[in-house]
Amino acid sequence: MNRKILLLTLILSLTTLIAFAKTTITCSGSTTVLPIAQATAEAFMDGHPDINISIRGGGSGVGIAALINGTIDIACSSRPMKSKEITQAKSKGIEPIPYAIALDGIAVVVHPSNSISNLTIKQLKDIYTGKIKNWNELGGPNLPIVVISRDVSSGTFEVFNERVMAGAKVSSSAQLLASNNAVTTTVSTTPGAIGYAGLGFVSSKVKSVAIEKIIPSEQTVKDGTYKLARKLYMYTNGKAKGAVSQYIAFIQSSQGQKIVEKQGFISLN
Amino acid sequence: MKKVILIALIGLILYLPLSSQELKITGEMWNRWTMEGGKAPGDSSNTILKNYFSLERGYLGLEPKFSETVKGRFTIDIFSSDASNDGAGLKLKYAYLDFSNLIPIPDLTTTIGLQKVYFGTIYDWNYDLIGKAPSDEYKIANSSDYGITFNGYIPWGWGEYALGIYNGEGYKNYGANLKDNIEPAFLANLRLTPVGGITIGGSIMANSNGRNKLLADNTTNPNYNQQLLTDGLLRLAYGPLDLWIEYLNKKISYSEEFSIKDYNASCLSIFSTVKLKKLIGQDLDLVGRYDRWDETDNPANQNLLNCITAGLNYKFMHDESANPAMQLQLNYVYKYYDEEESSAQYANKLKDTSTLMLQLKWRFNNTITL
Repeated sequence: MNRKILLLTLILSLTTLIAFAKTTITCSGSTTVLPIAQATAEAFMDGHPDINISIRGGGSGVGIAALINGTIDIACSSRPMKSKEITQAKSKGIEPIPYAIALDGIAVVVHPSNSISNLTIKQLKDIYTGKIKNWNELGGPNLPIVVISRDVSSGTFEVFNERVMAGAKVSSSAQLLASNNAVTTTVSTTPGAIGYAGLGFVSSKVKSVAIEKIIPSEQTVKDGTYKLARKLYMYTNGKAKGAVSQYIAFIQSSQGQKIVEKQGFISLN
Repeated sequence: MKKVILIALIGLILYLPLSSQELKITGEMWNRWTMEGGKAPGDSSNTILKNYFSLERGYLGLEPKFSETVKGRFTIDIFSSDASNDGAGLKLKYAYLDFSNLIPIPDLTTTIGLQKVYFGTIYDWNYDLIGKAPSDEYKIANSSDYGITFNGYIPWGWGEYALGIYNGEGYKNYGANLKDNIEPAFLANLRLTPVGGITIGGSIMANSNGRNKLLADNTTNPNYNQQLLTDGLLRLAYGPLDLWIEYLNKKISYSEEFSIKDYNASCLSIFSTVKLKKLIGQDLDLVGRYDRWDETDNPANQNLLNCITAGLNYKFMHDESANPAMQLQLNYVYKYYDEEESSAQYANKLKDTSTLMLQLKWRFNNTITL
């Protein structure tokens, strides 16, 4: 009799534990997507107390590698996956599915005291390759240019590299920083500095420069006239299911897209 | 003159990474305990033949990135060896440059130098088992060689390909032995991933051995032979299971007068990994492999080697991309022949052998900006 009671108690305890166990979603990757992921996760968890979302940065490359290794549910990326990454994933039985969650423009920023307000792609490339070294070569102040770039695991760097550098080498004197925030903070405190970051990281402490006479804005990013516009993604292994599907659907919903806008990015709609 | 060349080479090796935009420093060490036993004809039980600790591999690498389109790789292998009085061996494993914009085809890289041989599984074998890839294990192809390759990925993740021209002698040969023949080896490799989890592929390599077909006196060289190496591959990955099936063939053809020496050797290798992490919460893999290989170069003798491996991998430390940074590998390998082969040189006077290996493998990498 005692054994039966013991067994029943054990089963009831286990059932209770399972019933109250939280589902955990693991998410890592792009530091650009990070504030969107964090803000939307907080709002989503408020409405779904049974779901826990764990978010880490590291860069788009790191998140994609972790998805390929099968250790996370969502890879956040500020660039599309490369052919090499898709091949590696597929051969391991991982089927990466992209979900666009926001639009962004890579804003080129300078110190607010800098009189330069427009740059061409060629001028930008010349600055980043070290060919143009002083702002006065572009009609600006007599001030050496301090080039700030992003580290290689950054998707923002890869998009900038593809659209602006076209394979050219970033000057060896450039400072390579690990996050968008680090870039804008350094630019805001260095009068001769130039950097680039996702729109959501641009504040009044830095000045956003027009590229080919087009300022990054909701309209120019949406209509594609801004040269450095891009989509931000979340990748899952196969079509998102269960809690992961609910979370991504939440980000893509009007409520989620309002959070995207609140974070300084541009909504999909 | 040799000293001048050596100093210039060392200077170049040191200068190139320092003139780069970024430098990735990598290392990988394989600390292994091996106990090998064997049974000679007439023995009723195994005799322990070897029981030792060693550093089987000590890779140290520099990977400079000169621009977004030009990258390099330089890797040396330092390992325990009793071939010299120093107790250590040193091999140059890789020394190549990757150019990704030389030919305007998306995702195509031109690689020049001492590099991977894109044959079968040898170029992306990640040692989930302690043993080597079949083509390396049975000396069908070399894991690295001097040459030029065009390698790339098919858009949208459909697969990968490589075309190459190599010395065909491998990275271990150097100096006067670098080329034992005057004909280069040609390689083609294709892998397709039509749907997630299914990969099919094949490689072909044409090589020759024995230098000239004709000797100085215009008679046929009895040692000259042509080699045709082929490989077929199927990989199935689903959930925790990752299964590889590889078939290799080595066809050796001598000149007509010596065609009696022609032979054909083949290997079937089946290798699987079962990842238990989702089941037990620990990053533990079960690994198993079966190889069947005709080791003999005697066309009349088709007695096959069977090799069975079973093992465990426990990955207890990972980097930020979830790649294992430290792991413990336990492998048991049992080899036997279909028939009594102990008198053959390759059998080392043994009927069968069994080897137990425990390996602590650790790796590190760090990227510094210059």
